[in-house]
Amino acid sequence: MALPLPPGLTQNEVAFLAEMEMVTVVPRQRLDSIDLLGGKTPQLRPPHRAQLPLWLALLLKKQRRANIVPPAWMHPASLAEIIHRETKEDPEAFSPPPPPPSRALYSQPGTARRLNPSYVDDFTQTQQNSQQDPNSILSPPFLPSNVAESPAGYLPYHWLEVAEALLTHAGDDMPAPAGEVRSLLRDLVEVRAAKMRSSTSALEGFGDAYLTLRGVGAMELAENRAFLAGLVDGVRKIGASAEATRREEEEEARRGGDYGGDGDEDSDEDMGL
Amino acid sequence: MSYYDIDAILTDAEKIPCTFQIDVPDLGYLDNQPGHTLKSGSRVALPIWLAEMLAIANTGTIDMDDPSQSSKSFITFDLPPALGNDVVQALKADPRSVPLRDQSAHFYALATHMMELSEEPELSAVLRKTFVSRAAEIALHARKVGGAGGKGKGKATKDDNASNLGVGGAGEDFLRGLDEWERKLFRCAHDGTKASKEWMENVKKR
Repeated sequence: MALPLPPGLTQNEVAFLAEMEMVTVVPRQRLDSIDLLGGKTPQLRPPHRAQLPLWLALLLKKQRRANIVPPAWMHPASLAEIIHRETKEDPEAFSPPPPPPSRALYSQPGTARRLNPSYVDDFTQTQQNSQQDPNSILSPPFLPSNVAESPAGYLPYHWLEVAEALLTHAGDDMPAPAGEVRSLLRDLVEVRAAKMRSSTSALEGFGDAYLTLRGVGAMELAENRAFLAGLVDGVRKIGASAEATRREEEEEARRGGDYGGDGDEDSDEDMGL
Repeated sequence: MSYYDIDAILTDAEKIPCTFQIDVPDLGYLDNQPGHTLKSGSRVALPIWLAEMLAIANTGTIDMDDPSQSSKSFITFDLPPALGNDVVQALKADPRSVPLRDQSAHFYALATHMMELSEEPELSAVLRKTFVSRAAEIALHARKVGGAGGKGKGKATKDDNASNLGVGGAGEDFLRGLDEWERKLFRCAHDGTKASKEWMENVKKR
């Protein structure tokens, strides 16, 4: 009660976290590596692309020191494909998150395997000396899914926040007019919001009382968390007494098997008389 | 259910129809007969907190002549009219068209409490379906009311209040029929949408 904030992250907090996402920039000026708490940024040498956290990239963009290369999934063709998939191909489920990076070894072609962070970027490499550690395989929320090479046709976890930030501050770097990308993005938001509402019907019947939220982005979660949690909690409360009865019956059946019969209750009543 | 939960307290004050199993002297004023004895078999509406206690407790007397009369509970209770057969049938037919608030302001809380006291497997299934299908409707309205729809960004906020994108009059009736649980859900959904919209508009300022 003391803290008026709802459980979970608010939209502003989610947007703040999204600024940790790595994006690809094309620097216009030379810049030495900066020693940050999270590690060193790569050296910026003008014609070469580099990967920086979103907040730093936006800062450089505002100072006209760099251009941001938008991730491949933000291309209008990619967005249109996602919308098509969400509306036509699979109108029930959300489009899947980007696959983990995988690549076949040179010596064993055709056997694609999940890749270690060595694939990732200079920033995280300098940040951890243990980049060769096979245990540190990154999974979707921590993948560099907003860099230029990230796969097209998949929405990463922070898709809405990153797209909004890039469209607002780096609209001139978009592969298409920013208005076109923005309207596609609006469509996508609406489609997925409608899907989020209709997904609740999965809770109607007994038995399959769960919601699938695979592929839902961080901002959408922040928006719907309170509603969905309240809904599931209500269903739980309504079913609580039936659930308790069912458990008792199961318990009874198990005990009945052990002692052979239900003579206990009758004898109790006799004692009372 | 918290001790300080005002909704739980109000739910406990809801009245349910009870039938007295014993004569109670001087309680006749409950049945509009002040000064008389309340006869066994008379039906009185009692609040849940009282009915629950009376139904669980028993007289504790032992009647040697007629064993069936001993240790019976003070009252028996039925389902309140809010959970009566006609309401359940209407909910089965179309959950969205029943104004639950007219039945009881704490409809679901009352229902779950009653289901704890007596077993109603069918009621539980009907309520669950009702709750979920109405929740989808609530989410829809929460997004539209007050111009919180994704398309009306920035300028048109005042106009959107009036238009509500086609849910207009029927929507207001529906929202008026929400019980307390559903109002909470509505508030959650609405706050979420509103916060997202505010964030969308603030991105440009930074």
